[in-house]
Amino acid sequence: MKFDWRFNVFGKPWIWSYLGAFLVWLAAILFTHGYGAGGMLTAALALAVFSVIAGVAQMFVITLGPGNVDLSLPANIGLASAVAMKMMNGSDSLIAVGFLAALASGVCIGIFNYLLIWLLRIPPIISTLSASFIIQSAGISYGRGLQIKPPPGYAEFTSAQIAGIPFLAIGTAIFTIGIGVILHRTIYGRSVLAIGQNTRAAWLAGVSVERVRLGTYVLSGALGGICGSLLAGYFRGSSLEIGDEYLLASIAVVVIGGTSVSGGKANVPGLWGGALFLVLLLTMLNTFGVSAGVRFLVTGLVIIGVIVAAGGPRSVR
Amino acid sequence: MKRITYSRALLPLLASIALIGVAQADTKNMRIAFSNNYAGNSWRQAMLKSYDIVTKKAVTDGVVAAADVFTTADKEVPTQAAQIQNLILQGYNAIVINASSPDALNGAIKQATDAGIVVVSFDGIVTEPSAWRVVVDFKDYGEQEVVHLAGWLPKGGNLLEIRGLAGTSIDDAIHAGIQQGVSKHPEFKIVNSVEGDWDQTTAQKAVATVLPSLPEIVGVVDQGGDGYGAAQAFAGAGRKEPIIIMGNRQDELAWWKEQKAKNGYTTWSASIAPGVSTLAFWVAQQILDGRKDIPHDLLVPYLAFTQDDFEAALPSIPVGGVASHEYTQEDAKKAIEANMKK
Repeated sequence: MKFDWRFNVFGKPWIWSYLGAFLVWLAAILFTHGYGAGGMLTAALALAVFSVIAGVAQMFVITLGPGNVDLSLPANIGLASAVAMKMMNGSDSLIAVGFLAALASGVCIGIFNYLLIWLLRIPPIISTLSASFIIQSAGISYGRGLQIKPPPGYAEFTSAQIAGIPFLAIGTAIFTIGIGVILHRTIYGRSVLAIGQNTRAAWLAGVSVERVRLGTYVLSGALGGICGSLLAGYFRGSSLEIGDEYLLASIAVVVIGGTSVSGGKANVPGLWGGALFLVLLLTMLNTFGVSAGVRFLVTGLVIIGVIVAAGGPRSVR
Repeated sequence: MKRITYSRALLPLLASIALIGVAQADTKNMRIAFSNNYAGNSWRQAMLKSYDIVTKKAVTDGVVAAADVFTTADKEVPTQAAQIQNLILQGYNAIVINASSPDALNGAIKQATDAGIVVVSFDGIVTEPSAWRVVVDFKDYGEQEVVHLAGWLPKGGNLLEIRGLAGTSIDDAIHAGIQQGVSKHPEFKIVNSVEGDWDQTTAQKAVATVLPSLPEIVGVVDQGGDGYGAAQAFAGAGRKEPIIIMGNRQDELAWWKEQKAKNGYTTWSASIAPGVSTLAFWVAQQILDGRKDIPHDLLVPYLAFTQDDFEAALPSIPVGGVASHEYTQEDAKKAIEANMKK
């Protein structure tokens, strides 16, 4: 057996995303001579939370195997933000009601997505995209494009910090540990991985493929609902466009984090690395003060670079 | 080629002869369509609402026969181009348009104007010369932001700029105005500029990422829709909010009112009024009415609020919405006159 140093030192593909995040942060604070280093990390953690939640949703769907992707997440998040804020109606006593309503809206979208895929036999990439148009239209007629404010207690909760660490980031970290356990230690999680590796083999082994797929699209929808209601709290208002950036972000953090695009292989810690990397990259470019064009260009190139680097260890298998 | 230009030159002539025939040209049998490419934010919703109020009344009063609104769900150019072609076939006399692109729709617009349809664009304007454009003086808006700051901060200081959607004519014009303002007031220095896309969430995120690296900021110059997000980002980073120019959104003005009551916070607010859609409607109606003297580029003022009058306007803005101003036919005639004097 040939010795490969990468296999030892960087044996886990998600190391690369953390390394990338660290390097762009370093570049940013070198530029400011160390000024604002802690503030940047606080801001990055606060913003990364939402990409991580959307990323978990996308990770489960993508892990189901080739062709599975949830493109309705942005519309789902936008609608959920409006549902949550309308239900809370600015009153602290209705926070739970609004949160559960947003969750329910996400679950319904998940079921709807699955029905399109299963009943009508439409490929997920098309069914979730067309579902997102329907959701968007529902959102426009429901929310009328208004930015409804969250109740003060809820707004406070979503941006609370403990020693520079956002409260939401701690909660989401615990949540992702739970997700890791579900993925690797439960029948459901293992079924998702098995289906992604070989659907037919999983079916022959007795995995109820369709039930797991339904569960996964519903999980993705529910997480979109949670993400939407948290975003509306953190950004002090619902907006149908609030989820737009999570189309690319949810897929990018999954891929950068070392989850296989062809399914069957998921990586939970990598989601955090990927999300922090993307936010810190934005921080770095904003700190440099580059123009919008350069920013898009560099973001694209760097994502390609990291994916190539993260793909390295996998190819030596 | 020659024949086409000849017949095109003849058409208005024939039209005006016909108009003289009926003494006052009449638009009561004419139908005006509104082609809109997006409805998903508060500004667009206010735009549609203002348009609805004014045109419903115009139809009831018998000024025009119909004023229908057609909104496409996405911001895509091909969808709107197809929509315009449908409107041509449906035989509308005029199309009021908020366009998804300044130049990509020109082909479809040209087809419409060649078919004798009056096209009036606003907000998202079209560059096709045969169409009309109702534009707001965005450059002056940008410059006035710095002028106001200079009045309150004679010593100057560091400014943070929040840009709008990259590549749009609006972003370029406001930015140019701000730059001109800063060059006239060299006591100010723009230390960084980020992209807020006129959106609260995007602005808050952009400011939050850049703020840790910035020195003390005395003012934020922006483009509207981003002021509240900027204020949240400053609060989130534990920094005192500088003077943030607002953009007529209800949440921005409500925040301003709260701060004013607390510590006498002073700023200025301005933006393009969504009701400019109704001005575009009246311009189309006036052209159909036979007016030949209306310039193709109409410059109209933006809607601004000061420390003294914003609180009076606040109750009339829907929660989560944006301040609007609807034009009457008389207002529109005055706006046209103002442009003809130039």
